[in-house]
Amino acid sequence: MKRLLALVEREYWEHKGALRTTPLVIGGIYIALLLMSIFTTAHVDNELYTFKEAVRLAGEQSPEIRAIVVEQALLGSSVLFTITMSFVVFFYLLGALYDDRKDRSILFWKSLPASDLLTIASKLLTAMVLAPFAFLVTLILTQVLMAIIGSVMVLSVDGNPWTLFLSLANPFKAWALIGASWLAAAIWALPMYGWLLLVSSFAPRVPLLFALLPPLVISVLQGWIEFLRTFTLENNLSSVIKDWMFNTPAILTAEVGEGEAGVALGVPLTGDFDHAVTLANMLDRLLSLQMLVGLVLAAVFLAVTLLLRRRATES
Amino acid sequence: MNPIISARGLTKRYGRTLAVDHIDLEIPPGRIVGLIGPNGAGKTTALKAILGLATYDGELSVLGKNPSSQRAALMEDVCFIADVAVLPRWIRVDQLIEITEKLHPGFNRKRCMESLAQTKVTTGQKVKQLSKGMVAQLHLALVMAIDAKLLVLDEPTLGLDIIYRKEFYTNLLTDYFDEDRTILITTHQVEEVEHILTDLVFIQEGKIALEATMEVVQERYVELMAKPEKALEARALHPLYERELFGRHIFLYENVDRQTLQGLGELHTPSVADLFVATMKRGVS
Repeated sequence: MKRLLALVEREYWEHKGALRTTPLVIGGIYIALLLMSIFTTAHVDNELYTFKEAVRLAGEQSPEIRAIVVEQALLGSSVLFTITMSFVVFFYLLGALYDDRKDRSILFWKSLPASDLLTIASKLLTAMVLAPFAFLVTLILTQVLMAIIGSVMVLSVDGNPWTLFLSLANPFKAWALIGASWLAAAIWALPMYGWLLLVSSFAPRVPLLFALLPPLVISVLQGWIEFLRTFTLENNLSSVIKDWMFNTPAILTAEVGEGEAGVALGVPLTGDFDHAVTLANMLDRLLSLQMLVGLVLAAVFLAVTLLLRRRATES
Repeated sequence: MNPIISARGLTKRYGRTLAVDHIDLEIPPGRIVGLIGPNGAGKTTALKAILGLATYDGELSVLGKNPSSQRAALMEDVCFIADVAVLPRWIRVDQLIEITEKLHPGFNRKRCMESLAQTKVTTGQKVKQLSKGMVAQLHLALVMAIDAKLLVLDEPTLGLDIIYRKEFYTNLLTDYFDEDRTILITTHQVEEVEHILTDLVFIQEGKIALEATMEVVQERYVELMAKPEKALEARALHPLYERELFGRHIFLYENVDRQTLQGLGELHTPSVADLFVATMKRGVS
């Protein structure tokens, strides 16, 4: 366990840019956009008249409606973090067992008494737990900072931020929900993570190509066979992957449906799952037959990865 | 005493070529063994098998362990430096020390810092900021702070200038080596290591061409710088190898009576480099 944690810490050192700087930049973008909108308002508005009106009108809404809006804002503003994090994790895993082969430092790492199983576990743990944790910490910091800025603005027009929005929604619940959705999404994405590590363990160069080419070729071939036989191949690989991605239990959209604003897990493309943001709906995915198949696939990918890593030296 | 490395019929195939061809080898503790061979002879392949980095056929035991299946456990007692440039470039020196300390039960931080204090390396630097020689010093400082039973060096001084190379081997010998430790070195720069070796292993085309202690080598082989008029006579005694230097003929003999040779010219102990060339020319016996 001590060694595993040491290896995860090593991953953090190596990928500080991706795991620390990147979420800070995303948070910075949110803060910058907020400040820019404030300055714009202050610039064009006569003594913040419109802003005062907005605060007054918001205050006239029932607390229940305001609570929903605040909650949606807390959950919905995670979207940019979620999407960025998925790119970070994708490229992290693709390089995880490749970079050290390329620069030959694998010969140093393999001279230390850490097993290959432990090494792979540390990479997976970094992708599934450390990355979501790092992004969540930054998201919380961002939202707290935005709440402070908003409160100062409301105070400046003699409003009461506490009764207007601060006291209405429980941010801890929202943060727990976002964190849970990222963990659930990481489990959901295990077959992809396994595949990426597998590619990373053998690709002689350009792992991105090796990661994308096989599924692409299979999808094209399936489309072609479908065309030739003129029967409908419903589950061709590309649509399986697409559905899989959009069924992810991570919060991916703030959508408007039937006159109500709502935040949804994934972008509802299929009717397979309920897309409302609840723990039950996250679990629904994790306990599905699809997930079981996905876990078996991930186990196969990871087992092959381990075999390849054992034999890997510099490429 | 149990051998540190024991191989029987060690074989490695790459497709149809035999990189290592049924090698039998036994290395006892407390030796400094030079594994010497031309490019492509199978040195690195043999080392990779010993370090658990490659599959192989045949029997191989390192410190009583099977390197193929017990690499991680084996690495608690084995250190290796595979040429100079394998330390990760992104890492900071203090991070490198920290991770080694956390992963290696036999690592002594104090010793490492003492070794580093004698170099220009500082803990705040990243490996990529260090010169090639400093990286080698850093790696050696790490390795020398680990209480290992076997140290494997694969071309450890490749590309370093002569000052670093001299220092490297001096440090190794004075600060590290003792009778419980075994060092296995491969290198092309034979002249640099020959005075520290206790054993020689020549490898050629995947087979062992010579395996002997330095004492045996000095007993068995002799070099004769023949008087010009005795060259024909000397040649008749079946030398292993003959070369010419400044018009004088130099012969290398194996197991030839020294008394007979004495009358033909001056006798010397052959250098490892000359012995190596002679053995390679003769081919695998």
